[in-house]
Amino acid sequence: MKRGWFTLLAIVGVAALAGAPAAQQAPIKVGLAAAVSGGSAASGEAIKRGLSIAIDEVNARGGLLGGRKLELVVRDDEGNPQKGVTIARELVEREKVAAVFGGLHTTVALAQVPVWHELATPYVGTWAAGTNITRNGKKPNFVFRVSANDDEVDKFLVRYAAEQLKRGKPGLLLENTAWGQSNEAGLTKWFGERGVKAVGIEKFNWNDPDMSPQLLRLKQGGADVVMLVANAPEGAQVVKSKAKVGWEVPIVSHWGISGGRFAELTGELSEGVVFVQTYSFFGRQNARGEAVLKALRDKYGVKGPEDVTAPVGTANAYDALHLVALAIEQAKSAEGARVRDALEELKAEYAGLIKSYKRPFTSEQHDALTERDYIMVVWKGGKIVPVP
Amino acid sequence: MYGLVALGYHVTWATSRTLNFSQGHVVMVGAVVAYAVHVAAGWPLVIALGVTVIASAAFGLVVERVAVRPFFRTGSPVWLLSTIALGIIVENVAMLTFGKDARAFPSTLALKPVFVLGAGVYPQELLLPVVGVALMGATQLFYHRTFYGRQLKAVAWDSEAAGLMGIDVPRAVAVAYALSAVLAGVAGVLLAPLLNVSPTMGTLIGLKAFAVAIIGGLGSAAGIVVAGFLYGLVEALVAGYVSTGAREIVGFAVVIAMLVVRPWGLGGARPARRV
Repeated sequence: MKRGWFTLLAIVGVAALAGAPAAQQAPIKVGLAAAVSGGSAASGEAIKRGLSIAIDEVNARGGLLGGRKLELVVRDDEGNPQKGVTIARELVEREKVAAVFGGLHTTVALAQVPVWHELATPYVGTWAAGTNITRNGKKPNFVFRVSANDDEVDKFLVRYAAEQLKRGKPGLLLENTAWGQSNEAGLTKWFGERGVKAVGIEKFNWNDPDMSPQLLRLKQGGADVVMLVANAPEGAQVVKSKAKVGWEVPIVSHWGISGGRFAELTGELSEGVVFVQTYSFFGRQNARGEAVLKALRDKYGVKGPEDVTAPVGTANAYDALHLVALAIEQAKSAEGARVRDALEELKAEYAGLIKSYKRPFTSEQHDALTERDYIMVVWKGGKIVPVP
Repeated sequence: MYGLVALGYHVTWATSRTLNFSQGHVVMVGAVVAYAVHVAAGWPLVIALGVTVIASAAFGLVVERVAVRPFFRTGSPVWLLSTIALGIIVENVAMLTFGKDARAFPSTLALKPVFVLGAGVYPQELLLPVVGVALMGATQLFYHRTFYGRQLKAVAWDSEAAGLMGIDVPRAVAVAYALSAVLAGVAGVLLAPLLNVSPTMGTLIGLKAFAVAIIGGLGSAAGIVVAGFLYGLVEALVAGYVSTGAREIVGFAVVIAMLVVRPWGLGGARPARRV
């Protein structure tokens, strides 16, 4: 009797398994490996929103490869490179994702580069801007990016400081990490092109509470503009320390400060810090901009452009996902290596949120956005608005 | 400020020859509790301070009961590890309940800096030594003028004799732990507007306060106060004139040097050599 039941169960089980694919095809999973906790958690949330909105659009159109839905798997790297490597493996080996999108920390992204190549899985950065992440010397290169690239950002920031602000004595204030180094090289190079040498290069560590000594040294060195490379918690301490040493000097910043609670941590002091972005939800939007804002409102209760926290994360991730979706269609496969090849030779033109992408990647160029696509913004009343 | 936290090390060391190695976490607990009451719930700062004092004292009692007393009698140094373990547990509980983000703790004293002799300071930073010294004074008064305080002193002097004289030694040790935690908790509230509130804010403070306690001498309250002041000064000078990177290197190098040259600290008495 017992045996009979078992056989019956087995038959039912096999039947259910066999019937499953006919009823619904297996989804195509894509991963997000980013900091969704800690001082830069706002960045991870913003990226997740951008990906989710784009995934909803793709699935509403009927999915990919003849009806397979996209599904997002999120893992937290905690801003920690070792953790980043662990979750990279987990996403590919256990979750079997077709592609992975990346988060804010350059240190994490750099540590993951060898993993993507070993596991032959394409990675599309949506935030971390370290130059060497995409220019990593690998062939074939599995790392792509729809975000800023430090080298291009530095060129952009230097031009702003020199041409808009007309400053010629920059002081560099950088975090003491791989990301800081990447920008030290870039800023020095692009200032050098203009025959300008930094009057001082100062560094700080994560979680440092007081940056007054560094600022005082830059002040004594005669700096007339501070070029800042920091994430939100440290950027906030820089601004507080600047008020403390009583130094009226413009700060031109990389965009790390837009990834956390910078405005909450600094209050009024955030006013007037200018920094770079790839996109702004303010002003006239294209059709995609309208659609994304509407989705943000309906799905996440975001009232308007001023409420979009860490907007670049959402914008970059949105475009990145659509590009990967096009690549999967073109490859007619969700297999990592073939998606990678398709990304490099994308045939379809994609009228995206940030711009219209025509052949965004080549074997030489793995950055879809360049200096021409960046904009300058400023904190005003706790919101990010374009520089007038 | 290190002095205040370091004094907490002294209070328990003097009575029981044990330490709460998670003093830094108590600083964090103080800041997080004050944040919850003052910022999240919107109650006045005075109430927040009161709640913080009670919560810190309670936490001190828990540390003593759970992590110290079971090992105290056997004379085993396991309390060293168990207090650290408790601190890590608390830190992770804070991460789960409070979140990992640093949050702003608004204070009218930390909005605009004032300028003294050309150097800018936030009034909040000036408040620190004032409250610090006041609390140290209060601790001394407590020791010399109150019944409990005298009991603590007696235990510190000679716990066996104090026990024979009818003093409840375990209770005196528990009181010392509560007092020690209150000092750290109040330090947490004072530091919150400057450092922002986060579950990891106390770790380095606790470590540096321990360094200060070693330099000043674990047995000497006055030595610790002086050492706390000197340590802050040296840090500022090194950061200002050498580099920020050298700050921690110099600070902890001084501790090691101190341990070699004068292990009983600046203010501590040289222990009698046993032959």
